[in-house]
Amino acid sequence: MNAAVFENVEKVYRDRLFGSGGVAAVRGVTLSVPAGCVFGLLGPNRAGKTTLVKLLLNLARPTAGTLTRLGEPVSARRTLGRVGYMHENHAFPKYLSAAEVLAFYGGLSGLPAAELPARASALLERVGLADRRDEPISRFSKGMVQRLGLAQAILNEPDLLVLDEPTEGLDLLGRELLREVIDETRAAGRTVLLVSHALPEVAEVCDQLAVLVAGRVAYQGDLETLTRQPDGSRRTLEAALRGLYTQEVAA
Amino acid sequence: MNLPTAVRTVRWMVRDTVRQSLATKLFWVMLAATAAVTALCLGARVENDLPPLTSDGDIPAILPATEAEKIGRDKVKADGVRVIETDPDKRPRLTLAFGAVVVPIARDRTDAVRHLQVMLAGLLADTAGVLLALLWTAGFLPNFLEPQSATVLLAKPAPRWAILLGKYLGVVGFVFVQAVLFVGCTWAALGIATGVWANAYWLAVPLLVINFGVFYSVSAFLAVCTRSTVAAAFGTFLFWAVCWGMNYAHHRYALLPPDGVTALSSWLLDVGYWVLPKPLDLSGVFFGAMQADGFAAAVPELKAVQSAGQFHPEAAVFTSMGFAAVTLGLAGYELEMTDY
Repeated sequence: MNAAVFENVEKVYRDRLFGSGGVAAVRGVTLSVPAGCVFGLLGPNRAGKTTLVKLLLNLARPTAGTLTRLGEPVSARRTLGRVGYMHENHAFPKYLSAAEVLAFYGGLSGLPAAELPARASALLERVGLADRRDEPISRFSKGMVQRLGLAQAILNEPDLLVLDEPTEGLDLLGRELLREVIDETRAAGRTVLLVSHALPEVAEVCDQLAVLVAGRVAYQGDLETLTRQPDGSRRTLEAALRGLYTQEVAA
Repeated sequence: MNLPTAVRTVRWMVRDTVRQSLATKLFWVMLAATAAVTALCLGARVENDLPPLTSDGDIPAILPATEAEKIGRDKVKADGVRVIETDPDKRPRLTLAFGAVVVPIARDRTDAVRHLQVMLAGLLADTAGVLLALLWTAGFLPNFLEPQSATVLLAKPAPRWAILLGKYLGVVGFVFVQAVLFVGCTWAALGIATGVWANAYWLAVPLLVINFGVFYSVSAFLAVCTRSTVAAAFGTFLFWAVCWGMNYAHHRYALLPPDGVTALSSWLLDVGYWVLPKPLDLSGVFFGAMQADGFAAAVPELKAVQSAGQFHPEAAVFTSMGFAAVTLGLAGYELEMTDY
């Protein structure tokens, strides 16, 4: 069982009015994200990682290829109710308080209204924002907004948790909290798709990973295989990635 | 389409828009304006008003006060003759804000109050109020649709069109509440102060809401296409002016077709008139409901098409609402097709 499957997926961003200026962000990507694991998506800037996430979450439409999410085509929006999403630069409506943000996004995810206050309180407690629950988030620091973003992402106890550069702006305690959430999600048999530049973090938590370079999959497998050299010795993840990037760019 | 999900989405978006309008202080500013105008109306008095005309086209006999004194005022009044007073304190007048503002009138109490209501609804609320509300709410959607704000929201199972519809209904609902408060408070205040309870004034509520809703659909479309508050605000103002111009030009042409106009120009004018919203016609509907012909001058072009039997109020209202529905549909389609 896979939590997400990409088959020959392409995405070319074009000017919608004139159809000109096509930029290929993703080219012929075939990739499977197994259910129940922590899956890392790595690659240099402009490799197409965020585009893949957007395609998976219906934020963009593929130019070609097919995608499935939690066993159904991505066009079935109902499966988005079983997905949690957190990204690095989220701006919540500034006129809402932390509790209202969770109620709003939880309501749109389809959670029963009667359950929302209790869930929101428990999560705000967990991310360390219980004492600020009724404050407008315009007064929050970036780190606090990220913590709220994490609470929002796990509010519906998602089967697929998508984290796009989640550690951006988080302090040490925030990173530890994130690590706990990832471990708990995996332990519950759910899936985490982690897009990150923080290699130590990826090396620590990911069971499987894929490396994208220039819109193509350069590697998919486990960390051990990626870092093993032909002579059997190990190299660091940085060194392995550098090697992959160089090979792909040369190709 | 999953209807319960769409309904739930609309409900949450309406609730969110109410919070947004409260947070931007717009609610309180408009409430303060309503309170100020209501206070003005509570202090309204009609003094020395003239008796109403008995029938359409009735031209009353008039007599200067000095002559009336010679004949005897009671006899003159009994004959239905209107006396023109020389003493300023005895002249008919409407005072506002407890005498702070004095407006001379030449009509009876009911018409004087209805005239004031036409000014309040037609000029203050329908023009200044609607433009102010359009300006203030123009930023609601662009801010909301910025990629940083929208990506998490659009990754929810909520249909995009329902998100847009909920936001639109939230803003229009907000204007509806403000319109009810404005019309209700000023109607009650004038009723208490003058004893005139003109129920037709309540028609201003749906007309204000329709007028705003039509132009806000354009604002929503521009917001989805450009994500720019400036483009949404000024584009809508420009469109508002074009619609008034088209509506006026169509009636002007129907009244006095200029020489040398080709059949194509005439056809384009007709198409433009029927396709675009008709703000002049909507104000004509209100003018007619208030029976304002007796005390205020209608736009001559509008009066002419009315006299010629070419004024279709129901069609004007429904085609304007149809335009809003189509524009909102296009905005929904554009949002659906946009990559984030």
